[in-house]
Amino acid sequence: MNLSIQKVMKEFETRQGKLLALQETSLEIESGEFLCFVGPSGCGKTTLLNLVAGLETPSRGEIRSNGQKITGPGSDRVVIFQEAALFPWLNVIQNVEFGLVGRMGAGRRRDIARTFLNLVHLGRFETSYVHELSGGMKSRVALARALALNPSILLMDEPFAALDAQTRDLLHEELQEIWQRTRQTILFVTHNVREAVRLGNRVLVFTARPGSIKKEFRIELPRPRDINSAGVLSYAQQIQRELREEIEKVLKEEVDREWTLKKADFLRPAGIDLGSGI
Amino acid sequence: MGVSVQRILVGYLISLVFGIGLGLLVGRFKFLDETVGSLMVGLQVLPSICWLPLAILWFGLSEAAIQFVVIMGALLSIAIATDSGVKNIAPLYLRAARTMGISGIDLYTRVVLPAALPSVASGMKLGWSFAWRSLMAGELLFVSVGLGHLLQTGRELNDMAQVVAVMIVIVCVGLFFDQLVFARLERHLRRLWGTA
Repeated sequence: MNLSIQKVMKEFETRQGKLLALQETSLEIESGEFLCFVGPSGCGKTTLLNLVAGLETPSRGEIRSNGQKITGPGSDRVVIFQEAALFPWLNVIQNVEFGLVGRMGAGRRRDIARTFLNLVHLGRFETSYVHELSGGMKSRVALARALALNPSILLMDEPFAALDAQTRDLLHEELQEIWQRTRQTILFVTHNVREAVRLGNRVLVFTARPGSIKKEFRIELPRPRDINSAGVLSYAQQIQRELREEIEKVLKEEVDREWTLKKADFLRPAGIDLGSGI
Repeated sequence: MGVSVQRILVGYLISLVFGIGLGLLVGRFKFLDETVGSLMVGLQVLPSICWLPLAILWFGLSEAAIQFVVIMGALLSIAIATDSGVKNIAPLYLRAARTMGISGIDLYTRVVLPAALPSVASGMKLGWSFAWRSLMAGELLFVSVGLGHLLQTGRELNDMAQVVAVMIVIVCVGLFFDQLVFARLERHLRRLWGTA
């Protein structure tokens, strides 16, 4: 499913007046692409994701998927949220099959749900309750739930942000593996530059608010990618440089007009000594 | 005793259906919330026994009057608890459900109601005790058959034993239903939600 974002702009009404979250943006996304959005806080990347999901409507412009205009949320564009958003009144397998209820018989539904639960390696936890799962497990169930719907587009909003580094690493591998098999279009929002480089075909860097696409990087590395490889690191550094400027802008606004990101300043404490008491 | 229990079961079930329905509507529609919502809270403060004279005027000395009092006791607390439950649902659940293609009535039955259930359950428990109290008050004051009436005749006949015996029965019936229904519901919800 290819996506065409045409001159989309989004404004919000707040108590302080109109807030321009996303400047006029246009973007073409090919079917089967893995696209990552990185940017400072408040840069509109989540807003753009919500617009594609249909959870918000653009103030101007339109988004078309396969030529059809997007007017609201739908199961062809499933979102995976940062907080997993699993339903606590259902157990794990019921959560995974949630989107499928009403579309097919109970037996087939259960089979499909089991397949995807096994895909994320949680087959043993079918009847567990949501509160009994760890953060990483919740993310995997959320992933299984979304995949079970076989959406054309998977929208992931910082899905691994709340996890520890090891679990995140594991999930990156699982996600890569799954994507190489299913080849869905994925839009992945993250703050973590190396994660973006490891996973994406293209990485789009957003400017600070009001956000727009600053620069696009095509990641031409073979898969599967190792997060510590030289290739990933080199791309990550380039992207980080672009991002730094934007982060500085955000910090200036939030902290202090005079603030700048000094190079490695934080590594040198005031009472530095060379070890001999000099 | 059978008569009393029957009365309360009928009255309570009606309160449950309409109370939850009302609570859902008030929770959903801002217009209703601003008009009916505040009215609900106000009326709830009124002791249910105060509905009795009105009930008798409207329905005469009949079963309907008693039922009316029981319903007025329970319905509003259930509605208020449901309304509060609906309003306090994490918006995240609704957004997640919508991106999975759920909308309309489906959204209500499969997401809103289950998500609000812990709140509704505590409202149900409260409503039950109000209903039971209203029933006893009503029966005490004017009706011919039932536990409340037995209490009254005991008093008239100066029969202390009867009075105390009936009181014990009333407590036991209340506890029985609590254990049978509400404690089970609460335990079940606690297991699912982790705390509730």
